[in-house]
Amino acid sequence: MRLKRAAATGGALALLVVMGACSENKGTDGGSGENRVQSGSIATDPKDSMGPAAEVPGAAKGGTFRVIRETKISHLDPQRVYSFAGLMNAPLYSRFLTTFKDDGSGKVTLVGDLAETPGTDVNKDCKVWEFKIKDGVKFEDGSAITSKEIAYGIARSFDPDLTGGPTYLQEWLANDPQYDTKWNFKANKTSLPPGLTAPDAKTLKFEFAKPHCDLPFAASLPYTAPLKADKDTGVNLDNQPFSSGPYKITKNTAGVELVMERNENWDPKTDPVRHAYPDKIVWNYGPDAEAGANRVISDNGDDQTALAWNGVPSALVARVTGDATLKDRSVRGQTPSLWRLTINTQRVTDLSVRQALNYAIDRDGFIKAYGGEASAKAVTTLMPPSTIGWESYDAYPAGPSGNVEKAKELLAGKTPELVLGISDDSPELATQLKANLEKAGFKITVKTIPTDAKLDETSKKNNPYDLWTDQWAADWPSGAAILPVLFDGRTIKAESNSNTSYVNSDEINKEFDRILAMPAGEQGKEWAKLDKRIMTELAPAVPLFVEQGYYLHGSKVGGIYLSSIFGYPAFTNVYVKQ
Amino acid sequence: MSLSPVEGAARAEMEPAADPVKPDEQGIVGRSPGQLAWARLRRDRTAMVSGVVLVLFVVLALAAPLISKLYGVGPNEQFQQLLDGNGMPLGYVGGITGDHWFGLEPRLGRDIFIRMIYGMRTSLFIAFAAALVTTAIGVAAGILAGFLGGIVDTVISWITDVALALPFLIFALAVVPTVGLRFYGPREEVPPAFQVTVLIGIFAAFGWTSTARLVRGQVISLREREFVEAARASGAGLGHMLFRQLLPNLWAPILVAFSLAVPSYITGEAALSFLGIGILEPTADFGRMIFQSIPYLQTDPAYVFFPGVTIFILVLAFNLLGDALRDALDPKSSR
Repeated sequence: MRLKRAAATGGALALLVVMGACSENKGTDGGSGENRVQSGSIATDPKDSMGPAAEVPGAAKGGTFRVIRETKISHLDPQRVYSFAGLMNAPLYSRFLTTFKDDGSGKVTLVGDLAETPGTDVNKDCKVWEFKIKDGVKFEDGSAITSKEIAYGIARSFDPDLTGGPTYLQEWLANDPQYDTKWNFKANKTSLPPGLTAPDAKTLKFEFAKPHCDLPFAASLPYTAPLKADKDTGVNLDNQPFSSGPYKITKNTAGVELVMERNENWDPKTDPVRHAYPDKIVWNYGPDAEAGANRVISDNGDDQTALAWNGVPSALVARVTGDATLKDRSVRGQTPSLWRLTINTQRVTDLSVRQALNYAIDRDGFIKAYGGEASAKAVTTLMPPSTIGWESYDAYPAGPSGNVEKAKELLAGKTPELVLGISDDSPELATQLKANLEKAGFKITVKTIPTDAKLDETSKKNNPYDLWTDQWAADWPSGAAILPVLFDGRTIKAESNSNTSYVNSDEINKEFDRILAMPAGEQGKEWAKLDKRIMTELAPAVPLFVEQGYYLHGSKVGGIYLSSIFGYPAFTNVYVKQ
Repeated sequence: MSLSPVEGAARAEMEPAADPVKPDEQGIVGRSPGQLAWARLRRDRTAMVSGVVLVLFVVLALAAPLISKLYGVGPNEQFQQLLDGNGMPLGYVGGITGDHWFGLEPRLGRDIFIRMIYGMRTSLFIAFAAALVTTAIGVAAGILAGFLGGIVDTVISWITDVALALPFLIFALAVVPTVGLRFYGPREEVPPAFQVTVLIGIFAAFGWTSTARLVRGQVISLREREFVEAARASGAGLGHMLFRQLLPNLWAPILVAFSLAVPSYITGEAALSFLGIGILEPTADFGRMIFQSIPYLQTDPAYVFFPGVTIFILVLAFNLLGDALRDALDPKSSR
């Protein structure tokens, strides 16, 4: 009797499960569409850099917008912000020298934020740059922002205690990767780093030893946020930054929530990009990606005005794409984060082996193993499609699933034994790659590396691996922030390399120098050409895919778009439907 | 728990007529305690059903390569062409077809049925091997400590206490990933056989304590008995005393301990693989399979259902059989 009842319960349970999964899966309609090709320009007319930003149709002022995220934002101090969450959040409470006017379509314009224009190349040699500061820009206490405060902000980024932020400006000014040894911030708090001057309250001047035509782009990162010297609380600024943007931080409980409320001293007439429609913006920390997505899907109470920052986890994608009611609540698009299978050219010295890897790769299968077309889109270039000037090409055309025969032909009977390093949180990627490449005649040995050690291990020059996956997302959509960083052989050092393929070709290195000396606006096409040349001549990696963003927000949220620069949800246009 | 099963069995032997179900037709026939226990086990329907289920599982696991050949699919074969663009199986209920009876794994598209058969082989091998090793160590340590007493008993009991005090999971998390580095170079693959050995070793290092304590207690109660005194008086050596006199009287508790250890190692191994320190990809394994399937609870419940239900049935059958075995060997410990 008891047994029968148990059997009945078990059977009912099984039936329930089966019924739940009973709809037929006929396949999907594809990922998030075409490659969105970036077109970028630098605004020369000061009018483009003035506010207020054009109204967003349907937007209304007021309400509270929420963001649900698993972990807290690592840094709030503008000079230390570098994580994607931090980069997308920082414009809410701080302003920078320059910024991108963006609507998520891929058409970006670099405009002045605190500066009237995105910089003037004084001698047309990219060595001396001048910025004029706008009138009417203010801190949260109502005091005016001048070039002095911006210069102080840049100066404090030299402080070795304030870790985590980008280091382009510091390295360029000091003309040395070890910039903090060249100029000591703590000993010179009242002076400015070498090459940085503020001749008057409205002028900021950079003088570099080498040409840096990308300066207007580099100045868009949060380390150019201004700060008054008497408001500098050192490492504690991370908890309570001093606001120059449309919001100020009113409550910050580590790991629980971050509350930002309107800063009345921000003048929309000076701001070309920020709208600041909601009265209040709150980050709620805690729920993981799955919990966050499920909360937004159920759309109850406060979650109606929330965004799930951790996106739609790949296991939930099938459910979210299948639900038509979620379509207008989802935001999808490409990110600049490109995955490649790095080939250690110090070990795999035979070009034909590297080319065979490029022919053999089954991108379609790899993407399925990674999480599917909703989270990845195949590429054959070294730069992501969101780079200015990007052009599609396939140096080793083999179709979406690879061409094993062609690879075998190139190997000519050899069976290269390669060691594949894989982080221990994604062993299925190694399983996929091993099965894929062994079909073409390679012999693959898989070595797992602890996830948090993988980057350190593979960026050591003499690491023991032949193949591993790498990701790169540039800080601005220019080839200058990608190709020289990843493939300039003169930068190779013992540890923490970005050139993890360890290629060093004199001819390619010369090309880097040539293109870097060109005006930023003319470099785009040249980088695309060099991209193809590197792949054809060196084959230092197998480009795999570009990550795709997939986010859900509540039914009362509007104006969310994916930043064309970073590929994460941007908050400059966000509003709460009334 | 501290009842002596030998004593119980001995009494049952003296009173066969008290057995209510089996009518005494052939007159009083001398039967060994083992025969009696077997007869009691035969009458227990739960034990028989779980026994049959277990035999079935063990046969399936042992015949894994043969099944794979008949079924026509290998455990590491990928069928990604049967997945949609999001890596989810096409068709009904996680891709169940005549070719793939339990459907396909999302992402990699491997056959769930054949991976479960192979995963069962991994799990059962590790569990049985670990149970054998721990029982052997536990019996040896317990019998020595119990019989010799004195300084030997004190030392062995100390070691037992220390082993019990060490946190198993923390130790496993710290040791398992590093052992591979110790024996294999940075460019050498760690073979699955090595991972299996490490797991068995970890279980052996921690699992012997309960058996040792159990056996030690039993031996202490036995060593003052007349037959032991008699053997000692006749001048029997230590080996004879331990293995000829004491051990035959200990089989019942050892058997029960063993049969309950196996399911606990199955779940233990699954738990370690769940935590990512057990058996690694691409070797099929229950724990990792369940771990990987959990995020798909909403989108592909079949992937969670099949391995989950199978490990549940396997462990339940083992536990029920272990309980029944205890009842059969020790009828006095009524539930």
